[in-house]
Amino acid sequence: MPATCGIYEALWLAKLHFRSARALYLHIPFCVRKCAYCDFASWGTDARDPLVREYTAALSHLLEEVAQAGLLEGCTTAYVGGGTPTLIGSGLADLVRRVRAVAPKVSELTCEANPDSLTDELLYKLVDAGCTRLSIGVQSLDDGELQTLGRIHTAWQAKDRLSAAVALGIDVSCDLMCALPGQTDKSWELTLREASSIGVGHVSVYPLQIEEGTAFDERYGNEPLPWNDTEVQARRMQAACDMLESAGFERYEVASYARPGRECHHNRAYWTAEPYLGLGCGASSMLTREAYGRLRAVAHQLPELPYDVSRVRLTCTSGRSELARTRSLGDLSFDIEMLTEAQACAEDLMLSMRMVRGAGPGLVEHARAVLGKREVDDTLAMCAERGLAHEQDGSWVPTHEGWLLGNELYGLMWGLAPDEVRSFNSC
Amino acid sequence: MKKDTSHIRNFSIVAHIDHGKSTISDRILELTHTVEERDLESQMLDSMDIERERGITIKSNAVRVAYDADDGKTYQFNLIDTPGHVDFTYEVSRSLAACEGAVLVVDATQGVEAQTVSNALLAMNADLDIVPAINKIDLPSAEPDRVREEIEEDLAIPADDAVCVSGKTGEGIHDLLEAIVYLVSSPQGDADAPLKALILDSYFDEYRGVVATVRVFDGSIKKGDRLQMMATEDVFLCDGVGCKRPLETPLPELGLGEVGYVVTGLKDPSLVHVGDTLTNPDRPCGEALPGYHEAKPMVFAGIFPVDNKEYENLRDALEKLKVNDPSLTWAPETSVALGFGFRVGFLGLLHMEVVKERLEREFGLDLIATSPSVDYHVFTTAGEILDIKSPQDLPRPEKIDRIEEPYLNAKVIVPPDYMGAVMQLAIEHRGVTKDMVYLTEKSVEMHFDIPLAELILDFFDQLKSRTKGYASLDYEFSDYRPSDLVKLDILLAGEEVDALSFIVHKDKAYTLARGLCDKLKEIIPRQQFEVPIQGAIGNKIISRSTVRAVRKDVLAKCYGGDISRKRKLLEKQKEGKKRMKQIGTVDVPQEAFLAVLKVDDDA
Repeated sequence: MPATCGIYEALWLAKLHFRSARALYLHIPFCVRKCAYCDFASWGTDARDPLVREYTAALSHLLEEVAQAGLLEGCTTAYVGGGTPTLIGSGLADLVRRVRAVAPKVSELTCEANPDSLTDELLYKLVDAGCTRLSIGVQSLDDGELQTLGRIHTAWQAKDRLSAAVALGIDVSCDLMCALPGQTDKSWELTLREASSIGVGHVSVYPLQIEEGTAFDERYGNEPLPWNDTEVQARRMQAACDMLESAGFERYEVASYARPGRECHHNRAYWTAEPYLGLGCGASSMLTREAYGRLRAVAHQLPELPYDVSRVRLTCTSGRSELARTRSLGDLSFDIEMLTEAQACAEDLMLSMRMVRGAGPGLVEHARAVLGKREVDDTLAMCAERGLAHEQDGSWVPTHEGWLLGNELYGLMWGLAPDEVRSFNSC
Repeated sequence: MKKDTSHIRNFSIVAHIDHGKSTISDRILELTHTVEERDLESQMLDSMDIERERGITIKSNAVRVAYDADDGKTYQFNLIDTPGHVDFTYEVSRSLAACEGAVLVVDATQGVEAQTVSNALLAMNADLDIVPAINKIDLPSAEPDRVREEIEEDLAIPADDAVCVSGKTGEGIHDLLEAIVYLVSSPQGDADAPLKALILDSYFDEYRGVVATVRVFDGSIKKGDRLQMMATEDVFLCDGVGCKRPLETPLPELGLGEVGYVVTGLKDPSLVHVGDTLTNPDRPCGEALPGYHEAKPMVFAGIFPVDNKEYENLRDALEKLKVNDPSLTWAPETSVALGFGFRVGFLGLLHMEVVKERLEREFGLDLIATSPSVDYHVFTTAGEILDIKSPQDLPRPEKIDRIEEPYLNAKVIVPPDYMGAVMQLAIEHRGVTKDMVYLTEKSVEMHFDIPLAELILDFFDQLKSRTKGYASLDYEFSDYRPSDLVKLDILLAGEEVDALSFIVHKDKAYTLARGLCDKLKEIIPRQQFEVPIQGAIGNKIISRSTVRAVRKDVLAKCYGGDISRKRKLLEKQKEGKKRMKQIGTVDVPQEAFLAVLKVDDDA
């Protein structure tokens, strides 16, 4: 640590050297049916398929292994996502219980849920097992829109399940999508109004993206889509912001709104340089050099780090059947990226611009130290000049324009990174 | 002393595009064992990557093959490949001047086409013996008898002896070689007379300097001879002679009637001119070979590096390119929008494209080319005459007395059905039809006076598309004539962009301005701010369009912390931007600067 290091920077620096993960992600790659827009790692599966049970059992083993390696000792949040975790029924509750057992410091434990498979019985079981938060994939409260998306539940079902979860007293988040085929300004407003009036503490809002290889991509290809036009996306994002804020929510991230105190700590970890560990198909991890060392102790196939690497990103590339058979991370393969301190810092600046809080004084000080004062100040000045971000009490925060043109802003920040990130496939 | 040249045959192969000229050349190399089959890279004679990719010949090339004929004698064939584009008409005429014969290839399924006619005429005008060959007879749809009739009727070439061949299977190639032996004359000349040799082409070799491809008409050349180029009067010591088979093979001597290369040792390629005559300074020949003129650039365009730091590298690259392409000329140019670059002179638009592509590919440069311009003569009110090759150098209107622009004599050969379409096209391009002559029943030669500036835009492409590819075009400089010309400026976000300015005839300014504004709107991507595009003459705005602002561009979705994916997306975005030029606050893609060439595409 340089002698001139300020107190803010010192605080920021501390988390760049965590020896364990601060957040844990488990991926369940199964769904009843794949939605038309989805390009996540997920496959339509019958819940009774033995593969589902084997996969979940394998995750439990991996959990045990990473806990043994000390990778979960500082872990405070966990998230079971998918796919459709609720598809596996009581198996999900068992998995939650395992997480509780191996990561005792976890205070926020979220399960992703689908309205059609979130039965009352499962709700009780999950809460009993230690789940504190449910993120329910609602997407829309218009039956026509739901059908076009390929969702297998109705608007009524979604509202019913949201209410049931809220009634249990746990944190509930509702995922919504805008710029959908058939969606109007009016139907969007209705969806927002109904969702917020049910009493959820958290709402996520995403504009639909037509991703390569999805059914939507095949259906709509390259034709111009008036309902998905960026003008429409901008208008709907803005409508969501206005509507939710007037209903008592506050935006804290580009796509996330929460009532006071109900922010998702797990999601926030992704944008604030907290190391996280992901287990399962396609799951991503971000580890400090120190935590990566611990991971290598169990996954010997992973390469040793060159001296100048301070952050590692891993994505699990093993298939679901391969995962179902595994008992150790040593059997799996990963795509790896190695970032230097300077690259990691540029990345943190980029990610911080997704947050309302922006880049705090600690991060900005650190950035000036490792990326060069002039370079950082020039970039920040350019962001200000282009109206994408501005300074506020020593922090740099995105403007309204910065929200809508996030990629511009993120691109400017990432542009500070020197050299190319070293990457290695299928390690 | 009478030297025997009866075993020498110098010939070219000419054909309409895609009638199989290159495959037949390849077969000849193969059949004469010049190249073994396994080494035969398809289209051996086109040596540059770009030539092979585009299927066009840019440089001339001469390959010597030894053919053991059925009469028991061994013949020396010099196969001279010629460029195939209107930009290189002069080079073609010089190549043909080195031959005694031409193989005229006609596709057995398509028959005589426009270029067949123009090529046949070129060959006949050069007094060549013509060997007609009907190619692709392996195809089921081949109609050799019909094609034979066409050759006789349309071209007035006796076709009884036309050889039926297949470049693909090799069938008939032997007969073709025999026909060349019998139909093509052997070279004449006097081995004892003072040296007289024609330079067909030249290229630069790092170790040996300029190497010239020559045809000996009188006398002979050997290593150590003192030689002189008659047009430039430069003298050099011959550093070696040889021929290509197709690799360079040194020879003791280039004798009477032969084609081969001469190593000049000269380090400056601009001293060696295609069409010039080589002789011996101590015993010069009486007069030079006819037909020489200097290849003059007709089209001028700005070439700028996208990244200004590459300016020096661009200069080096141009210098290196010039050694193989002496027709290239340039002068430094500064643009407010694009920074430092060069105004480069080209023989024509294809030449410009090829040069830009070679600079980018062979030297790893990222370049912007601006709209091509011609050399205008501007008469100022102060009585000066200015040579203006770049619109940005045009003086203010009040200082101009008049502007003269170069006019061409253009010659179009086309089937009579398309005469109307061609006349219409000429009118649209300010051309005046002078006369037309029926060459045969199926082809008419039309002559126009047309401004060069019109011809370089889209005339050639339009001509091809409106005549379904049947027309062929040939032109030569005629004279300078006064025209009512104005400078059209383009403003992006209110700022004039000098590199987008354009000199145009007043009557066409409005249409072009509108077309250009619309085209630029398509090309320039949406930016953070609305970008107005305006066309202006002087201070008067005559057209406008607007690139709408991008309202939203953010990847909000979170893939369980998959940051790598987001970052890669940003990197891709950045990569795209790097290829654009930032002008003021606007990111402008490279192709925007050539938008004027594309304006009529959609019309």
